Amino acid sequence: MTERPSAFAVDRRGFIRLAGTTAAGWIALGATSDRMRVVASLTALPLDDELTRRSMIDSPTSRLGGLIVGLRQRGWVEGVNFHFELRSTFGGPDKLKTAVQELLELKPDVVLTGSTIETAAVFAATKTIPIVFATANDPVGNGFVESLAHPGGNVTGFTNSTAEMGGKWLQLVREAVPDLARVGVLFNPATTPRAGRFFLDSIEQEAAACGVSVAPAPVNASTDIDQAIRHFSEPPRAAMVALVDSFLVIHRQAVVAAAAKHRVPMIYPFHYFMDAGGLMSYGPTLEVRSADYVDLILRGTKAGDLPVQSPRKYELLINRTIAHSLGLTIPFTLLARADEIRE
Amino acid sequence: MNETIDQRDLRTPPGRLFRKYLYSIVGLAFAALAVNTGFDIWFSYREQKQLLAATQREQAASAAIQIGQFIGQIENQIRWLSRLPPELSSNEDDRLNAIRLLRLSPAIADITELDSQGREQVRVSRRVADRIGSKADLSTLPAFHSANESRAYYGPVYFLGDTEPFMTLATRGTGRDPNVIVADVNLRFIWDLVAGIRVGNTGRAYVVDRMGVLIAHPDLWPALRRSDLSGHADVRAALDGVGPPSGGLVKEDMSGQRVLSTYATVPSLGWLVFVELPLSEAYAPIYASIGRSTFLLIVLLAFAALVSLLLSRRMTVPIQMLMQGARRIESGDLGLRLAIKTGDELEALGDQFNRMAAHLRESYATLERKVIERTCELEKARDHALAEHDAAERARGAAVLANETKSRFLAVVSHELRTPLNGVMGVLQLLDDGSLSEAQRRHLATAAASGETLIALVDAILEYARLEASTETLETRDFRLDQLIEAAADLMRPQAFGKRLTFDLACDENVETFVHGDPVRLNRILLNLIGNAIKFTPSGGIGLKATAARHDDHVLLSLTVRDTGIGIAPDMHERIFEDFVQADDSIVRRFGGTGLGLAIARRLTRLMRGELTVESTPGAGSTFTLQVPLGRAAGDVAQGVLPAPSRQLRVLLVDDDPVNCEVGEAILKRLGHRATIARNGASAVALARDQAFDIILMDLHMPDMDGVEAASRIGALGLPRMPRIIAATADVSGSARERLAGASITKIVSKPILINALREAIEDEPEVGPAAAQLAAGVLIDRHFLDDQKEMLGAAQIAKLHHLLQETSDRLIQDIAKAAAIGDHVQLARLTHQLGSAGGALGLVNLFERCRELELAAPSMSPPECQNAARELAALQKASMSALDDLLAPAEQRPVT
Repeated sequence: MTERPSAFAVDRRGFIRLAGTTAAGWIALGATSDRMRVVASLTALPLDDELTRRSMIDSPTSRLGGLIVGLRQRGWVEGVNFHFELRSTFGGPDKLKTAVQELLELKPDVVLTGSTIETAAVFAATKTIPIVFATANDPVGNGFVESLAHPGGNVTGFTNSTAEMGGKWLQLVREAVPDLARVGVLFNPATTPRAGRFFLDSIEQEAAACGVSVAPAPVNASTDIDQAIRHFSEPPRAAMVALVDSFLVIHRQAVVAAAAKHRVPMIYPFHYFMDAGGLMSYGPTLEVRSADYVDLILRGTKAGDLPVQSPRKYELLINRTIAHSLGLTIPFTLLARADEIRE
Repeated sequence: MNETIDQRDLRTPPGRLFRKYLYSIVGLAFAALAVNTGFDIWFSYREQKQLLAATQREQAASAAIQIGQFIGQIENQIRWLSRLPPELSSNEDDRLNAIRLLRLSPAIADITELDSQGREQVRVSRRVADRIGSKADLSTLPAFHSANESRAYYGPVYFLGDTEPFMTLATRGTGRDPNVIVADVNLRFIWDLVAGIRVGNTGRAYVVDRMGVLIAHPDLWPALRRSDLSGHADVRAALDGVGPPSGGLVKEDMSGQRVLSTYATVPSLGWLVFVELPLSEAYAPIYASIGRSTFLLIVLLAFAALVSLLLSRRMTVPIQMLMQGARRIESGDLGLRLAIKTGDELEALGDQFNRMAAHLRESYATLERKVIERTCELEKARDHALAEHDAAERARGAAVLANETKSRFLAVVSHELRTPLNGVMGVLQLLDDGSLSEAQRRHLATAAASGETLIALVDAILEYARLEASTETLETRDFRLDQLIEAAADLMRPQAFGKRLTFDLACDENVETFVHGDPVRLNRILLNLIGNAIKFTPSGGIGLKATAARHDDHVLLSLTVRDTGIGIAPDMHERIFEDFVQADDSIVRRFGGTGLGLAIARRLTRLMRGELTVESTPGAGSTFTLQVPLGRAAGDVAQGVLPAPSRQLRVLLVDDDPVNCEVGEAILKRLGHRATIARNGASAVALARDQAFDIILMDLHMPDMDGVEAASRIGALGLPRMPRIIAATADVSGSARERLAGASITKIVSKPILINALREAIEDEPEVGPAAAQLAAGVLIDRHFLDDQKEMLGAAQIAKLHHLLQETSDRLIQDIAKAAAIGDHVQLARLTHQLGSAGGALGLVNLFERCRELELAAPSMSPPECQNAARELAALQKASMSALDDLLAPAEQRPVT
């Protein structure tokens, strides 16, 4: 009996790989087939929002879509071995409470939260059900985790912009508006970290360095937005910075529309605003890795053992058409830096 | 042949040979295959393992190079930035260049340009606002003074925001006042690289820094936790500069899985790239190879077993068929044909076998045919013989019938003649009452002699008839030989003197002895010879010479009767002994006579086992020689004339003839007995019933009730003491004796009644002492039968039988005694039967009879009777055996003649 490895090698390797993949898939499915898992998600966006619409779920570019696709790649198929339960907190504190209540009653295996507000609400309700937050600016400060590397409790997730990003936003918007004299900072104190102070410190520090005055423009309701923006359409030359705030994301159409209406240049922290017609945005690239953590948690890894991940990439988006309409000329330094320039 | 039966039969033997072959071939094949496969697997395993380790090392080296290139690329970029001539660019230009670099390398998070004094000129960052011309003094940074023209500075890995691994890179430009470019690199971008390194299917690569802290891992999050792996033995060893083992290291990875691990060092950075492949996958090809080899081994084994099976069958089936064939031939089935089609020596052997069987079959057929032919011939011969035998039987039957007719005729005649003679003789005997004158007495004697002669003539005829019918039996008793001869001589002497012939008698002294024999017959022969001599001698004399030679058990009597008569022609010497033949027809006219005398004499002689011969010369005379063996007398029995009876007996005389009655009564009175007369059977029965008699003398031929019937009726009376019945008859034929035996009549007196014969018959009482009497009488053994047996079997065989009988009978007697003691009738009957049979074989008739009686009577006998009978039988056996000893002892010592 003689064997000739070369003749078999390719086929064998291929076969083994195929077999291995199949086996892994079936093991993954098999490992969970005993019980239907429940993955709950809590979002501040209304369910009819473009970002939460079911039609967007299959798109890997959206946060929710990325999760579903990522889970499927790891052997979790919705309706087969897990249920995906989405609840919106849109509509005020009562709504938030109800939504949290509803989700926890489903006894989910893991709860995904959108931002700090929802995370805090769920975290307040349970210390056992794993919570994975999609964005949180200051989890340590909010008390969700002990440290980023070793969260320790039942919460982990992904941080968004760091506090010094405020100065960065100011620097970038000042490059677009060279004659800037004052900067307005738009946020809802109820939904932005530390009621805006999280970012305001670095903004004020940078403003002081370059001789710009800072004017916080807190809004508490959607009806306040227009008023707050209009305030910066008048001289001296002003621009605005929209902070990381779920309220603003929800009302991004209104914000963008008001900025255009009042011809106020504004920089946003997320690209969602660009989709709504914003001037420019700078923030961490959405790298959807929540599927990784959900998968690990469903397989038994403790959330407290999973480190909180920080963003590693940032992207600058500029809409040159909007800039033209505002009478702005985008300098080379911005253009060189821009990851995407929309016309 | 019927193959199916063959096949089935072939399966029945144990099949040792088949199994032997099967096991041997399978074992051989298995050993060869197993050794081959074992070596193959072993070498393949080793080669694969080495190959695997080498491949993995290659992968690790490749990954290290990739990581090195990744860092090297960044290094090159910042080196490019640092080497831009300072006078060619303003701070703004530097910033723009730095921005471009950030666009180019996403891993770079921060670029700071320092002048030669370490003052910050430009800082471009992704997270904080850019700074231009701040002149902050950063000359104390290790990155600033460690970076030189030739070598870039690689800072230690540090973690930003607790989780993000970063490293500081710094390069120094050229020229007089070279700028220093410091870049902070986010090492998480190595993750893309590490995640992209394919190690097998499930294997992975990870990177640790110089301190053993995990920098990059495909799962990302272990790196984010700042895992310190310096505690791991292999990492420790690698950090200490120990090279990876050539065959790879088998260890448990972070998730507890057993992996094959190796590593490579990233050049210039000193980082370690570990490549781990789970053993399950690493060895999968080896296992697959082993599995394939094993499968192939099993398949080949199965094939080998199949081939062995077929081969073994091929080898053993013909042998089994041969064996079966041999067995069949052994059992006689020669029609077998072995169908062995192997095309080799076995087939040749099978053919040879078939030929052998065929030859055998032919031989048997020939033999059988011959046997059939011979059988046919024999059957024919037998049929022929049977036919002849039938004819002979028919002839014999006719002859026997004729003879019987003759016998009956003679019996009737003799009876009719005897009856009046009886009367004459009786009266003549009575006439001598002692008052007669001498002359009267002489006349009376002459008359008596004439009567006697007449009786003798009748007797001769009768005797001849009996001899002819072979019914004559000797009636033996003890007698004085010399007295018999002298009486005969005395009887005949007067006749001789009457013809003026001399009569010489010479007896040697041996003759003066008692012998046992039939004196009547002997006397008859003697008288016949002397009578003839006198008759045929006109002048001269008669010489009678008697000698007796004593032998152990008998006396050989030689009697010579010589005369000087007319002689006999030589051709007549034998014929004269034939029936109704005389030497010359003229003799009948001249001398008269029946011509039966010599025939009877010779027949009687032969009956006595003797010889009667003649020597004669015509005209000179004849010499007749009689040689007869006679038994020796048992004791000295005095042979007196008319001795007094032992006691007076009451005798019932039954006869229808008044003369006979009168004669009989007179004789009985003379003998001293008391006689009562009955004139017919009925009155005889009545008298027997009313009076006690010792003896009944019964005439057989009576008109109303013959003697046999009368005897039967008397027997049926159930008398307290049964009288002995003696038959008086002229008919002493065999059939008559049989009839008499049926009526319990054992004794016969021939008519006319002679006084001596009657006396003997009366005196011969069995009750004197049965055993002793019978012993003395010598009826214990049937000598004729014994002699016949001797002749037939030979003395040696008889001696053997004698010895055997001695042992057997002794044992049987003991057993009979035991059986009788416990009253086992069945056993008694069986044993007596055995004893009787045994005894009968050597002619112990008495024992035989007694045994038969006992056998029949045994079931109805009481225990005491049984024991008595057993004792009697023991005595009888003892007596019989001693008698047999006497008879056979001398015979066994001499050869049979």
